[in-house]
Amino acid sequence: MAEELGVWAYAITTFRSEPKDVAGVTGVDHEPVRTVEMAGLVAVVGTVHLDEFGEEPLRRKLDDLDSLEAIARAHHEVVAFAARRAPAVPMRLATVYRDDARVAAVLAERHDDLLLALKQIAGRTEWGVKAYAANAANATAAAGQAEADASSTRPGTAYLLRRRTQLSAGENARHEAAESARDVHETLSGLAVAARLHAPQDPQLTGEAGWMVLNGAYLVEDAAAERFAAKVRALRDRHTALRLELTGPWPAYSFSAIFSAIEDKEPSA
Amino acid sequence: MGRPSPQQRIEVDRDSAERGLAALVLTIIELLRQLMERQALRRIDQGDLTDEQIERIGTTLMALEERMDELRKHFGLTPEDLNIDLGPLGPLLPRE
Amino acid sequence: MTATSAAHPSGSTGEVAPQRLALVDLLDRVLATGVVVSGEVILSIADVDLVHVSLQALISSVRVDGDRPWPAVAGPTQSAHQPEER
Repeated sequence: MAEELGVWAYAITTFRSEPKDVAGVTGVDHEPVRTVEMAGLVAVVGTVHLDEFGEEPLRRKLDDLDSLEAIARAHHEVVAFAARRAPAVPMRLATVYRDDARVAAVLAERHDDLLLALKQIAGRTEWGVKAYAANAANATAAAGQAEADASSTRPGTAYLLRRRTQLSAGENARHEAAESARDVHETLSGLAVAARLHAPQDPQLTGEAGWMVLNGAYLVEDAAAERFAAKVRALRDRHTALRLELTGPWPAYSFSAIFSAIEDKEPSA
Repeated sequence: MGRPSPQQRIEVDRDSAERGLAALVLTIIELLRQLMERQALRRIDQGDLTDEQIERIGTTLMALEERMDELRKHFGLTPEDLNIDLGPLGPLLPRE
Repeated sequence: MTATSAAHPSGSTGEVAPQRLALVDLLDRVLATGVVVSGEVILSIADVDLVHVSLQALISSVRVDGDRPWPAVAGPTQSAHQPEER
């Protein structure tokens, strides 16, 4: 029985590679990465075995954190490879086509949209900025300490008053953190061509105890990257209640939605 | 990857089932404790409690908090363990 | 067209250490963003909700019953030092 194969898509670019350019680059199924060209567009792809990467087996793999990680990293490696050489629009994880002909057909069908998407990211890089509210717990504890010497003749009352101070200190800290996060996002958005908010990350995945108040992605002109990084540093100094983390450079994952005139989709966030 | 063997796993499961149940129960109690505490504070602010009532509520809640701490430690649970993820609604209890 | 378009701008962005990318940051991006062109695709986890829900359900179940099938996923700085030795 012939083994069933599919074509995993990594990214779309205009950069036409020589075979030697992609030699040694492997993908999610450890397959050699190659390209499919059509109408001036180049899809970066790899042939995968459907018994491992077909619908059912893949869903199972993606449900397991270890294999999800392996696949996500392998996918990203290829996307990053493509994006290093030329503007590349990343494909969402787990887009598997039947064959090269179907890939070529997609390039032809969505040609204008894809070119537009590429134009929007050319000469630009995505950076991520995350912010954690560092001190909410400290504020609460500090407030508690301050009240600790309260009257011992009425310990129950003292307790309640202490709790009230702690709770409002906590609320104030949270409010300040949210305001700071908003300032950070607005400031950085001003330096970027486009900005997007991702959902706060699950603490169980991040292992972070702090409260994530910002998970932003910013598309920045390469010429402005230094200024952007400097602004992150300045914001870090300005907002001492936050812990800021800069990640990147990323391929323009968060800014690669493509739109179809026919379907009339709204840009995502 | 170091998953427990089938035999080990039974032991692990029994202990963690107990711990899991304890975590669930204590989370609910913690939720109620926090609600009562906030209600008490609200009424103090409103000024419709006598000093004796405030003192009594305070000592009760204080004792409850201590008892909660004991139970939590008994089951080897951290404060962070006492929470329920409601998915898109976020966690049940505020993360302090 | 400059080949350095997506490459690393001048390197004084000290925060971006060349450490391993944090899995969470990666998942934010590869799962929920990027081009989605379905139709006659064998499979497209474009309805990522499925993965999110499964993962979320898994994580929630881990939280409630206290069983950890895998060691707690380390934060970004830790994962830089620990190879897959689970």
